[in-house]
Amino acid sequence: MTNAKTRLALSLAALLAAPAARAQAISLVHVASIYEDEKDRPLNKPEGVVCDDQGRVVIADTGNGRLVTLSFANKRVTGGAEVRLAQLPSPAELQLDPKGNVLVLDRKARKIGRVDAAGQFQGFLEVKGVPSPSSVLPAAFKVDKSGAVYLLDLTSVKVLVLDPEGSVTRQLDLPRDGALFTDLAVDPAGSVYALDPVGSTIWVADKAASAFKLLVRGVKEVVSFPTWLTVSRGRLLVTDQNGHGLAVFGIDGSYQGRLLGLGWTDGLVYYPAQLCISEAEDLFLADRYNSRLQIFSMTVK
Amino acid sequence: MISRPALVLFALAALASPAAAPAQASKFKLKAGAAGAVCLDCHGDFQDVLKKPFVHTPVKAKRCTDCHSPHASGFKKLLSAEGNRSCAGCHSVVPDKALSTHKPVAEGTCMGCHEPHASAAKFNLKKPGNEMCSSCHKQVLEAAAKAKARHRPVEQGCTTCHDPHGSAKGPSLLKQPLPALCTGCHKTDKPIFAKQHVGYGVAKSDCTSCHAPHGSKNRGMLADTVHAPVAKGMCNQCHEPAGTPGQLKTKAVGVQLCRGCHNQKVNAILDKGRVHVPVLEGIACLNCHAPHASSGKGLLRGGTLSVCGKCHGDTLRRQERSPSKHQPIEIGDCTSCHDPHSGNASLLFVGANVVDMCGSCHDWLKHSSHPMGEKAKDQRNRNLRLDCLSCHRAHGTEFKKMLLNATQSEMCVKCHKQYQR
Repeated sequence: MTNAKTRLALSLAALLAAPAARAQAISLVHVASIYEDEKDRPLNKPEGVVCDDQGRVVIADTGNGRLVTLSFANKRVTGGAEVRLAQLPSPAELQLDPKGNVLVLDRKARKIGRVDAAGQFQGFLEVKGVPSPSSVLPAAFKVDKSGAVYLLDLTSVKVLVLDPEGSVTRQLDLPRDGALFTDLAVDPAGSVYALDPVGSTIWVADKAASAFKLLVRGVKEVVSFPTWLTVSRGRLLVTDQNGHGLAVFGIDGSYQGRLLGLGWTDGLVYYPAQLCISEAEDLFLADRYNSRLQIFSMTVK
Repeated sequence: MISRPALVLFALAALASPAAAPAQASKFKLKAGAAGAVCLDCHGDFQDVLKKPFVHTPVKAKRCTDCHSPHASGFKKLLSAEGNRSCAGCHSVVPDKALSTHKPVAEGTCMGCHEPHASAAKFNLKKPGNEMCSSCHKQVLEAAAKAKARHRPVEQGCTTCHDPHGSAKGPSLLKQPLPALCTGCHKTDKPIFAKQHVGYGVAKSDCTSCHAPHGSKNRGMLADTVHAPVAKGMCNQCHEPAGTPGQLKTKAVGVQLCRGCHNQKVNAILDKGRVHVPVLEGIACLNCHAPHASSGKGLLRGGTLSVCGKCHGDTLRRQERSPSKHQPIEIGDCTSCHDPHSGNASLLFVGANVVDMCGSCHDWLKHSSHPMGEKAKDQRNRNLRLDCLSCHRAHGTEFKKMLLNATQSEMCVKCHKQYQR
């Protein structure tokens, strides 16, 4: 083949390959909405939700000061038992650890409590290895597969990485200038993402990194007020609290589109909060001011 | 004294300028002596313009075609280029890597301040000096004129400290960064400076943290609202003692520092279910409040709109786009509906009941015939009850009356489905 023909063939190959490299479109199909617990007591402004691959779903029913546990299998919801704990009067953000405990960030206690699978309070996560452990104020947190806790500390403006017993193993300074962070996410490779709705940015720190680097600038060009961050299968899902929807970014920082919209009927959202995506790509969303949990089936084309 | 290269440049410029008129004449194949004069044949009123004290150089040289296209143009007033692009051909006024640029310059509205042909004011300004600045910055200059403690440079002219086009050295068009701009006049090595600052080494600090640069009602030009320890000269209430190595460090950080005096207030804030994130984040109270002095009420770092808008710009922009405006937002009274510190109600509302809260201004709502309140279930969502926010959004929508839909009927059938066509 001549040089010109080679170049033409390469160009054609690149052209044909381009659609495959393009971002995959996500769509959500509404499956169910949970309005009450098993005794028909309505949810009240739930802010948090967590799920596992066995179909266990826990809701932080913040306005009622309780947790509600459900099962979701074969697109059907069962259960809905209430767990009410005096130590956790205002549960807001939830995570599961590898032992099946629910870790609960309580807005009023301003601490992370551990609740076992039977609904018994196991104590607060005590942070060790910082000069003033009592001054640590978690704004948000995530737990990885090993049980390590990634905590966004309001006081020091750092991400503290703790082992399951609470000892600090790593600290990452968050950028300060014109920024204010509300949530973080950790992917299976150990990269930490941090969401800054004020500076309108998302930052990333790889597993071995000693500092965050800018991943997305101008988040608010497509999101009104980003408040929650979730990472799933190479995508970052940003909950747009005031814009009533979700925005999707690639972990390379590319903007991939928006999902959902403002409304009160099933399938629409009103000041949404935390979300959880299961291995089966079911998406559970705490639809805060609609006082319900919504379940969507996620398809990627 | 003028340097030698500058003299050479002047000489070259002087030699070059007479050539411009012939160039113009040859470009348009004008008759001998017609360059410049031919325009004045029709635009006779320009004779008066030319009598004004400050005439734009091309006008003075009768080189009308420097800016205008004499036969036809795609731009207004037969300009050869759009708006201030005509100006930018000769005037490069914004420095590279500018830290701040004057809004009219950025927007390309040079003629907001300058007359393109001639003016009675220096630099072809529409009005002389501060009077020109006052067209937009009236509040600043009026407050400065009424101030008990006045800053002399304000009277001398805004351009003493500000560059009217853009600055590569400071924010707010300042000619130098702070404190260099201030220390150019206020010598920090004099004993009086140390005495005035209670012995604290503040020579490298930001002067505007305490002082209002345009004047104030307070002695020493301290900003209008002064934090009590500053007013009493008791800086050591929050800072390490004067003269010590870490004198400017605070004795505690975040909320703990403010708790020293405002313990009750802090406890009341933290006792609520939901605390506004900036109250606890990093420098905590100082995210919104100035520690020393401020021209804002409650030592806020600015007006409510600018303080709240720093994070919630999206909310303010929504109102800007809305055809109907909510008055509290218009006047920057965010706290009439929201508690800026903490609360137990949704969205940090000051009241638990939305109807009551809206009803504190909108009295007629209490007489509305539509059912609202605890007994009125929202047909769209069984966990919700009807209130004002079921149909309106307080920060505006794209529709009138801050409604959720373009027409009332379109909105009503969301619940009253039997009437849907």
